[in-house]
Amino acid sequence: MSTTIIETGGLTRNYGDICALKPLDLKVPEGEWLSVMGHSGSGKSTLLNLLGGLDRPSNGSLRVGGEDMQGLTEDGLARFRREFVGIIFQQHHLIPYLTAVENVMMAQYFHSVPDEAEARLALERVGLGHRLKNRPSELSGGEQQRVCIARAIINSPKLLLGDEPTGNLDHKSTLMVMELLKELRAEERFTIVMVTHNPEVAAWGDRTIYLDDGILVREERTRS
Amino acid sequence: MVLAKLAPHLLSWAGIVLAMGRGFSGRRSVVAAGAIVGFPLGVAGACLLSRAYPGDFSFAIIRDIVGGSFLLLWGGAVAAIYSSTVREFPRSWGERLANSPFCAGAVALSSGMIAGAISACRLVGTYNTLPPFLLLALAASILALAALAVERALAASFPVSHSGLMASVVALLLFSASSIIRLDLFSPLTMKLMKFSHDFVHQFFESMLIPDHLFIRTYLWGYIGLLFGNGVGFWGALILWFTPAVLVALAIQWERLPSVAHIRQGAQRRRLLATGIRARRFRLVIPVLAMVVLAAAVYRSRFPSVEYWDPKPLPISASPSGDIFIPKKGDVDLEDGKLHKYLFKQGGREARFFVLMTPAGKLTVDLDACAICKPDGYGQAEGTVICYYCKTLIPLETVGQPGGCNPIPLPFTEKEDGVHIDGLTLLNMWGTNAQSTARVKGGGK
Ligand SMILES: Nc1ncnc2c1ncn2[C@@H]1O[C@H](COP(=O)(O)OP(=O)(O)OP(=O)(O)O)[C@@H](O)[C@H]1O
Ligand SMILES: [Mg+2]
Repeated sequence: MSTTIIETGGLTRNYGDICALKPLDLKVPEGEWLSVMGHSGSGKSTLLNLLGGLDRPSNGSLRVGGEDMQGLTEDGLARFRREFVGIIFQQHHLIPYLTAVENVMMAQYFHSVPDEAEARLALERVGLGHRLKNRPSELSGGEQQRVCIARAIINSPKLLLGDEPTGNLDHKSTLMVMELLKELRAEERFTIVMVTHNPEVAAWGDRTIYLDDGILVREERTRS
Repeated sequence: MVLAKLAPHLLSWAGIVLAMGRGFSGRRSVVAAGAIVGFPLGVAGACLLSRAYPGDFSFAIIRDIVGGSFLLLWGGAVAAIYSSTVREFPRSWGERLANSPFCAGAVALSSGMIAGAISACRLVGTYNTLPPFLLLALAASILALAALAVERALAASFPVSHSGLMASVVALLLFSASSIIRLDLFSPLTMKLMKFSHDFVHQFFESMLIPDHLFIRTYLWGYIGLLFGNGVGFWGALILWFTPAVLVALAIQWERLPSVAHIRQGAQRRRLLATGIRARRFRLVIPVLAMVVLAAAVYRSRFPSVEYWDPKPLPISASPSGDIFIPKKGDVDLEDGKLHKYLFKQGGREARFFVLMTPAGKLTVDLDACAICKPDGYGQAEGTVICYYCKTLIPLETVGQPGGCNPIPLPFTEKEDGVHIDGLTLLNMWGTNAQSTARVKGGGK
C-alpha cells in the first residue's frame, strides 16, 4: 500500500469570487479509506467532484491514479470517469423507469457492453438478489443505495467516491451499507474517499480530514 | 472544362487510392508507386486501343475488364463469407499474400490502369490532341498523393479489411464506368437478364406448356407476361449488383469476436468485447459506403447525364404506288450521322422508323422499335443509339443488324438522290412487331 493514488498540490477551485477550495495539499495512498468531514459549504463536494473528474481545478496540480488531470482532454476525462472511478451520491440518481438490474446494466453500457448475468451477480453481492426486477420507487432507501453501490463498482473502479451516501438513511440501513462497503473493499481493494456529516460513519475510514471554508484544518487517524 | 467532365472519374480515383492506402496499411509507398504508374499506363492503353480499334470494340474491351473486376469481387465476397462462417479456415496463407508488398503493388497498379482507361474513355473521341490526356494523368497523380495524405490524417481506429477494400475499389470503378454510357455495366446486365428471362420463358412455356390448351393459355399469359417486363431485368440486375457488397458486409458482421470467456474480471472482459465490437462496426463502414457508391452507379446508369439527340418524328407520306421517298439532301441531311425519325400514316395504321448513316458510311433504315421491347423508340448519344424502354445502348456500328434490342432493319433501296421504302412492308413489319411486343408487354404505344 505504498503507491499514492491521489496527490494534490495547491489544489484550488473558485466559483467566481467564491473560493470553494483554498490551496489544498493532500496525499492518499492506494487502498486507503478516507473520510472527509466539515460544515455545510466547506468545499467537501467540490473536492470530491475534482477527484472524480466531474469538475476541473482552477489552479494547482491534481494527479489521480498517476494521471495528470489538468492534462486530460474532455475525452480523456470521460474515459477516466468511465474506467477509474465509481461514485455514490446522497440522492441515488437511479433511472426511475428502469429496474435495478437495468440500472446496473446502464453503467455497463456506458463503460463497454451490457452483461445481464454479471449485473445480477453484482446485485446479489450487495444482497439484492431478490429485488432484481424492481424499480427504484419500489425499493427502500437503503436498498436504493445498495443498487447504487452495485452500479458504482460494476466496472471495477480503482477509486470509489461517496458524497454522503448514507445521508438519507436511518441508523440500521447506514450500518448495513457501511458493512457492505467494508466487505467489498476487502475483496476488490479499491480506495474510498467518502464525504459525511456523521462522525460514526467517518469512523469507518482509516483517516478523517476536516475541511473548513475550503481549508484543510485538521486530520486524524482512526484508532482501530 | 476538361476537368469538370472528368470530375466523377477523378473523384472515384481519389477514393480508390484512399481505400488502398488504408487497406494495405504500412504499404503506402508501394500503393503510391503502383497508382501513379498504373493510371497513366491505363490512359495510354485506352488511347492505343481506341486508335487500333476505332468504334465500339475498344470500349467493349475496357467494359469487359471492368466486368472482370466485378466478377473478382463476387469471388472475393464469397470467399469472405466462407472464411467468416467456416471454422478453422486456413487464413494465414491467403492473409500473408494479401499483406505482401507484391499484392499491394499489383492491386494498385491494376486498379490504376483500369481507372486510367475508364477516365481516358471520357476524352477519346472528343479530343484528339495530347494535352488533355497529359492533364488527366497529371491530375490523377496529384490526386493520388493528396488522397494518401488524407488517408494518413485519418484516425487509426478506422481499419479497412481486405474484402472491404475490394468492395470499395470495385464499386468506385463501376461508378466511374457508369458515367460513360458505353462503359456502363448495369444496363447491359439488366438487358442480359431480361433477354435470359425472355428466352427462357419462350422456350419453356411456349414449347412445353402452351401447345394448344385453350383455357390455360389466356390466363397463364397474364402471369408469364410479368417475367418479360423490364422489372425482371432491373430487379434481377439490382440483386446481382449489390449482393457482393452485402456478402462482404455480412462476412464482417459474422466474424467471430475475440474470445473473452477466460477473463475473470467483468469490466475487463466487457471492455475487450466492446473493443472488438467497435472495430467490427468500423470495418462495416466501408462495405456500406461501397453499397452507396454502387447505388450511385445504378442511378447514373438509369439517368445518364448525357444529352440525347431525340428528334421528333417527321410525318411522311407515300406516293400512290406506296413508295416512300426520302431525299438525301432535303430539309434534313440524311448523311450527317444523326438519327432521323419519320412517322408514316396510312389508312388508320401508322409506323415509326428512322434513317441513319453509320460510322462506316452506310445508310441504314430501321423500325423505331426492337423485337423485344415495347416500341418506345430510340435516342442517340455518344456513338450509340439507346432504347428508351430498356436503356440498352446499341453502338452505331451495329445499327442495321438485326437481333436483341437492335432496331429492326427495314428493306430499302438507296438511290443517288435518296432512299426508297415500301410503305406496305413498313406498316406490316411495324404491325407484326408492335403486336408481338404489345402482347407481351400488355399494350404498346
Ligand atoms: N457550481 C457552483 N457555483 C457557484 N458556487 C458554488 C458551486 N458549487 C459550490 N459552490 C459554492 O462553493 C462552496 C462549497 O460548496 P460545496 O458544495 O463543496 O460544499 P459542501 O461542503 O459539499 O456542503 P454540503 O455539506 O452542504 O454539501 C459553497 O459556498 C457553495 O455555495
Ligand atoms: Mg456537499
